[in-house]
Amino acid sequence: MDSSSNLNFPFTISCTPTKLNPQFCPQKPTFLTFMKYPSSFLTISSIPTKPNPQSCSKNPIFFTSIRCSRNIRHGLSSVSCLIMEEAPLDERLSVVDKVRSLSLEFRSLSEPIDRVKRLLHYASILPPLCESARVQENRVLGCTTQVWLEVRMNSRGSMNFSVDSDSEITKGFCSCLMWVFDGAEPEEILSVTAEDLGDMNVGLPKKGRSRVNTWHNVLFSMQNRTKDCVQERKRALSLEDLHSLVIRPHEHVGGPSANGSYLESEPKCSFEVK
Amino acid sequence: MITTTTPMEGAMLKLPCLRSVSRNTNFTNRSSNSFPWSYRRLHISASASASASAPLVEGPKLGPGSLGHITRSDFPILHQEINGLKLVYLDNAATSQKPRAVIEALQNYYEAYNSNVHRGIHYLSAKATDEYESARQKVANFIHAAEAKEIIFTRNATEAINLVAYSWGLSNLKPGDEIITTIAEHHSAIVPWQIVAQKTGAVLRFVNLTEDEVPDVGQLRDSLSSSTKLLVMHHVSNMLASVLPMDEVISWAHDVGAKVLVDACQSVPHMVVDVKNLDTDFLVGSSHKMCGPTGVGFLYGKSEILSGMPPFLGGGEMIADVYLDHSTYAEPPSRFEAGTPAIGEAIGLGAAIDYISEIGMQQIHDYEMELGNYLYDRLSSVSDVRIYGPAPSRTVKRAALCSFNVKDIHPTDIATFLDQQHGVAIRSGHHCAQPLHRHLGINASARASLHFYNTKDDVDKFIDALKDTINFFTSFK
Ligand SMILES: Cc1ncc(COP(=O)(O)O)c(C=O)c1O
Repeated sequence: MDSSSNLNFPFTISCTPTKLNPQFCPQKPTFLTFMKYPSSFLTISSIPTKPNPQSCSKNPIFFTSIRCSRNIRHGLSSVSCLIMEEAPLDERLSVVDKVRSLSLEFRSLSEPIDRVKRLLHYASILPPLCESARVQENRVLGCTTQVWLEVRMNSRGSMNFSVDSDSEITKGFCSCLMWVFDGAEPEEILSVTAEDLGDMNVGLPKKGRSRVNTWHNVLFSMQNRTKDCVQERKRALSLEDLHSLVIRPHEHVGGPSANGSYLESEPKCSFEVK
Repeated sequence: MITTTTPMEGAMLKLPCLRSVSRNTNFTNRSSNSFPWSYRRLHISASASASASAPLVEGPKLGPGSLGHITRSDFPILHQEINGLKLVYLDNAATSQKPRAVIEALQNYYEAYNSNVHRGIHYLSAKATDEYESARQKVANFIHAAEAKEIIFTRNATEAINLVAYSWGLSNLKPGDEIITTIAEHHSAIVPWQIVAQKTGAVLRFVNLTEDEVPDVGQLRDSLSSSTKLLVMHHVSNMLASVLPMDEVISWAHDVGAKVLVDACQSVPHMVVDVKNLDTDFLVGSSHKMCGPTGVGFLYGKSEILSGMPPFLGGGEMIADVYLDHSTYAEPPSRFEAGTPAIGEAIGLGAAIDYISEIGMQQIHDYEMELGNYLYDRLSSVSDVRIYGPAPSRTVKRAALCSFNVKDIHPTDIATFLDQQHGVAIRSGHHCAQPLHRHLGINASARASLHFYNTKDDVDKFIDALKDTINFFTSFK
C-alpha cells in the first residue's frame, strides 16, 4: 500500500522576507510549487503558524504552491505566501528546480536576521515527528542539535522523509530539505551536493564539511539512507514472496570496539512493496 | 561543598610588563603613557581584597585600564567585525586567541630557520633544535616541572592522554584493577580509558556530582582502594567551571598507591599550576588553549615513570638503534616523540608561555576570577537562564566560564543568533562532555568562556545580545 495515499490536507508555506526579492516575488507573483504529491493538485489555503501536533504523521504533509502577498509580522514588512494553485503535474518542480529556487530565495536575504526568520518560519510549518520516532536509531549523527530522521521508500520507488529537531533553526533547515527531497526519486536525491545548497547557510562557510553544519549532516544522512533503500530494494525485488522489509542499522564485521560501534550513517530505512 | 586550593605564584604579584610583550607600537606608546601606573594602582588595591569573593558586581579590576583593556591590542584577531558588528569572542574554553608575539614567532620560524630537529648538523637545523628544546624548557618552567625531559610534546592534550593510556595503561593494568574518573570529564579523558579497560580487563569507575554540581571528591575519596591503579581527573571543568582541590585528591590517591593523571587543559591557561606541589604523576595540556598555536600539546610525566614506559608510536627519533628484528628505544622524551614534531608550533607555544608569564599567571587568574564573577552575576540575573555548576561564594570559586540554558530555546539557536545578529561568539552543544550533559538531564548547553583579554564590555555586550536573542525567539512562539 502506498503510504502516501492517506494524505489529505496540504500545508502552506508562509515566508517572511523583510525585503522583496525581485526574483523571488516579482510583480506578478511567481508560484513556487512547494508540493509533494502529484495527486494533491487541488489545495486550499491554510496557514498554520505552528506545527499541528495532531498532524504528527508518518507521512508528513507538505506544501503545494505558494503565492506571495504582503503582511506584517514581527514588526517587519513581510511577504506571506499563500497556497492556492492548481498545479498541473508537468509544472511540478524537479529537485534541481527546487534547489535552484531555494538558493535564490536565501541569496535574496542578505540580512542574517531575515535568513533566521525565514528558517524559523519554515520550522513552524514542519509537522512534528511522533514521539515514538524520536528514538536514538533515527538520530542524525554529528549535530550540535538533535535531529531525527525517518526514511521510507514507497512502492513507486520514490523516497519519503520525516524529520524533526529540538532546535528551531535546525528544524527550518530540515523543513527546506524536506521540501526539496520528499517524494523525489533516489537518483535526484543523490545528485544534490552540499555546495548546491550552500546559499542556505546561516553563517557557516559554503565549503567544507563541518561537524556543526547540521543541514549538511541531515543531507548526507538522507542520501546515505536513500542509497541503503535502493540497495535493499534491488535485493528485495530479486527475491520472491516479499511483503515488507525493514533494514536494520548496519552491523559491522569485527564487532564493536571499546563498547562503541562504527557509525557512519545510521541507516534505518524501510520500504514498502505491494 | 568544595573549597578550592589554588596554588599561588608567590606573595609578590608581578606587574604586567607589556612593553616587551606587545609589538604594537600604538599600544606600546599608550601603555607607557598611562596604563602601567593606573593598572598598578588598580591592581594593588584590588589584591588586598582578592580573597573576599562574595559574588562581585563590578570590581575595581574591571574598569578602563583593566588587564583585558590593556592586552586586547596584542590580539589582532579581536579587532574585526562580524556581520558589521565588533567581534566579541567568548569561546575561549574551546580555543584561545593568539597574541602577535606568537604569530611572529611562528612566522619567524618559517621565514628564518625552518628545518628538521635533531637531524641535521647544519646551522638551520641546529637553530631549530635549540628553539624547539628551549620551548620544552619553557613548558617545564611554566608548570614547575623538575626537568625538561619530563615534558613530551604531543599534538594536543587528547594525544597526551592517549599516550598514557596506550603506553602506561596497557602495560600496567590488569583485570580487576580500577581506573577512577568523573562523569564530568571531557571525552578525551574518558574514551581512551574505555578502550584500555576493555583491552586489559580493568574496571572504569565514575564519580558523580554533588548537589552543588561539582564532582564529588568525598565520593571519590571513598571509592579509592588498593585496587585503584589510576585516577584521571580534570583540574578545572570545561562545563561546570568547578575547580577541584587536586593537591588533596592526589595525596589521597597516592595513599592507596594509585597514579594520577590531571587533565589541566582548562587550568594551565588561567592559573598557576605547579606539578611539583601537586605531586601529580601525569598532567596534560593543549597549546591552543593557552594562546599558543594548534597542533601541539604536552604531557608532563614524572621522570621515573616515563623511563619505565614503552613507546606509544614507533618511527624515527624515538629509537636508539634499529635492527631488522628489534629496536632499542631512546630515553624520554624522544622515546615518545616518533617522527617529525610540530616544530614551529612548539616554538610558538614557547612564545605564548613567554607572553602569559610576562603578565603573570596570578594576575591573569585574579582578573579572570573577577570578570568571571561579573559574568556569572549578570547572566544569572537574566530571566529563564539556568547556569550549570557551583554558585560562587566566599569558599567556592568558579573558573571564568558559564555553561547555561535558556528555557525553551535551543542553545544552538541562541549561539547562531548571537553570532549572526550580534557578532558574539559562544559555544553550543555538549562541549565533548556528553555523560555530564546526560547526568544534568540535557542534550546541549550554551557556554560563554572568558580569557584575560576579555573585558567587562565584552560581558555587557554579551548579556545585552542574549536578552535580545531571548526576545527574538520568544516573539516567534
Ligand atoms: C577539559 C578538557 N580536556 C581535554 C580537552 C581536549 O583538548 P584537545 O582537543 O586540545 O586535545 C579539552 C578541550 O576542549 C578540555 O576542555
